[in-house]
Amino acid sequence: METKLVQKPLIGGRLSDESFMTLFMIGVLVIVFGIACLAVPNFYKPQNMINLITNNWFIVVLGIGVTFLLITGNFDMSVGGNIALTGVLSVYFCQGANVSQNVLANGLGLPYVIAIGLALLCAMGIGAVNAFFIAHLKVPSIIVTLGTMMLARGAAQVITQGAQRNTSLPDAFGVLGNLGIPGTSIKLAVLVMIALIIAGFIFEKKTVFGRRIYLIGANPEAARLSGINVERYLTALFILSGLLAGITGVLLASEYKSGMSSRAMGYEFDALVISLLGGVSIAGGFGSVLGMFVGAIILSVVTSSATGLLLSPDWQFTLKGIVTFLAILAQRFALDKRKA
Amino acid sequence: MSVKEKSLRQQQDQSVAVRSIIKQFYIYVVLVLIVLAFSVVKLPQVSLFGRGSFLSLDSIINLLRTAVPILTLSGAFTLLMISNNIDLSVGSAMSLSAVVFAWLILNGFAFLPAFVLTLILGVAMGGLNGFFVMKLRITPVIATLVTLNLFKGIALLIVPDGVSAIKSSAAQAMPGWINDYARKEVLLGLPWAFWVAVVVIIGLIIVQRKTLLGKYAAAIGGNRTAAELSGINAVKYAWVLYTIVGFFAAMAGMARASYMSLGDPLSGDGMELDCIIAVLLGGTAFSGGEGSVAKTIVGALIIACVTVGLMTVIPAYWQVVAKGSVLVAAVVLNHLLVREKVKA
Repeated sequence: METKLVQKPLIGGRLSDESFMTLFMIGVLVIVFGIACLAVPNFYKPQNMINLITNNWFIVVLGIGVTFLLITGNFDMSVGGNIALTGVLSVYFCQGANVSQNVLANGLGLPYVIAIGLALLCAMGIGAVNAFFIAHLKVPSIIVTLGTMMLARGAAQVITQGAQRNTSLPDAFGVLGNLGIPGTSIKLAVLVMIALIIAGFIFEKKTVFGRRIYLIGANPEAARLSGINVERYLTALFILSGLLAGITGVLLASEYKSGMSSRAMGYEFDALVISLLGGVSIAGGFGSVLGMFVGAIILSVVTSSATGLLLSPDWQFTLKGIVTFLAILAQRFALDKRKA
Repeated sequence: MSVKEKSLRQQQDQSVAVRSIIKQFYIYVVLVLIVLAFSVVKLPQVSLFGRGSFLSLDSIINLLRTAVPILTLSGAFTLLMISNNIDLSVGSAMSLSAVVFAWLILNGFAFLPAFVLTLILGVAMGGLNGFFVMKLRITPVIATLVTLNLFKGIALLIVPDGVSAIKSSAAQAMPGWINDYARKEVLLGLPWAFWVAVVVIIGLIIVQRKTLLGKYAAAIGGNRTAAELSGINAVKYAWVLYTIVGFFAAMAGMARASYMSLGDPLSGDGMELDCIIAVLLGGTAFSGGEGSVAKTIVGALIIACVTVGLMTVIPAYWQVVAKGSVLVAAVVLNHLLVREKVKA
């Protein structure tokens, strides 16, 4: 009798706390979506539902890196600035050299593939700088990444002189961001998002690296003592987060065929919000990429129904604040109930 | 103990002493160096104390006037960081206060009632932060990021659609006396707002050095569990610190609104970073436990010099990258000078 009780979880009957939280947030999503359908005309139409999932692909892609870091108890606020910088750099590298009197129209004239490669390297470089200060010098991540956020966005402003670069670009530059499945509104970027979510899910559930992230988050000291090289793991995660921001930046720059220094302003907060909405806790090794994705859809239901109700765009900040706050409280309440 | 060991010991003692002297005074050296750099850089065109120079009387007065918000706020921010807490919402709290203050004055309030009402708002905002962090036990960074967006959103909602700030319009004129507080000279060419900031700074230095609140802040930041076990009500005192920060954020916001004669819902953006830079330059440890209000004020002056000084020598789009570099430099300096002592 007793052995049976012990063996039960091994066979895999019990739901993990993370799956419970994801299910809980899916329930919240259904309720929020139901209310939105009642209040906003045409909200239930299939095209709108697809838009809810696909329109915010960039936040979700950022959210993957941010979620993993949050699980280890670290923040990455540099992703927004990183997107701006990578986008601007990819444009700058690609623009023809010495083609115009205008400084902003002249670039380095590199082939597109090399331009993208270099831009992505820079994005990972920012991640590496973050990692150096946070993992090696033990400076709190919030301070460091706010600093690199300013450095990245500032560098983007310097390269574009505070404006944008969008002239003398080869045609190849605009292809990647506007490629899509014919006949649908689904772009390449959305497929990238889906692939990354699946990869992230497998990574966190099935790989040793992924499982150790949770241990580091739950107790970094215990993780270190049990032989995990915490510094190396954090470094890899920060570089990953930089790379994801870089991919987003390159795709966005290609979509609009321009590198803008003010692009992705505030995305770092959105990425953090969707992770929190999805049940990621920074208190200790808890959360999942799927939950984050559910959180992203909740946020997009809330913001797009606010637009549908003709609220002024100024409502966005307040709404995001209130929704996040309620989500944190609801999740704590649900987890406490479950444990009691 | 052999002679050799003795001399080694002496050397070590000396290096520790040197380090503590460096730690004590480096911030003043940095300030002097920065002031010197900005005064020398334009030497070919203007004489050292002449018109247009960084050290001219006009320029110094202008610098001190623009530095009022950070001087008002960073002292309280230091106490909060000493207690190992952080408030990222100060910029938005400033913006919201500026907007509310300007709105009250535009709608016929006299100076004093508007001032007091906005201060009450500041206490409420700080109290809300304290409630989230200490009572609901939400991590400081997340709780104050949420209120950052909340305050900013409310400020944007108060400003009517179609205009960028609370200011004079065809229907309502902003009274001219709104900028008396931050611009009209009262003493030594400096306005009320500056002298209020000076009083605030002196008051907070006394609070840090002579009162229980100051000692408890350091105790809570050093080791919260130990502080609680020795009978300090950490929840209460940290809550008080958040409230104080909110109070001074409101005061800083009003100084800004009065200086610009309008309530701009984005006027406080980035203030949290300025405060963090000032506190780190001042040598407060990242994880709390020790620090100095007085040195933070020197850090705040450094930021003011860099901000104002850079405006005269490089294009505006360099500003963000310059400030980011100052933050990283502050982090490195702080790491080199503060960390070592913990190890020893």
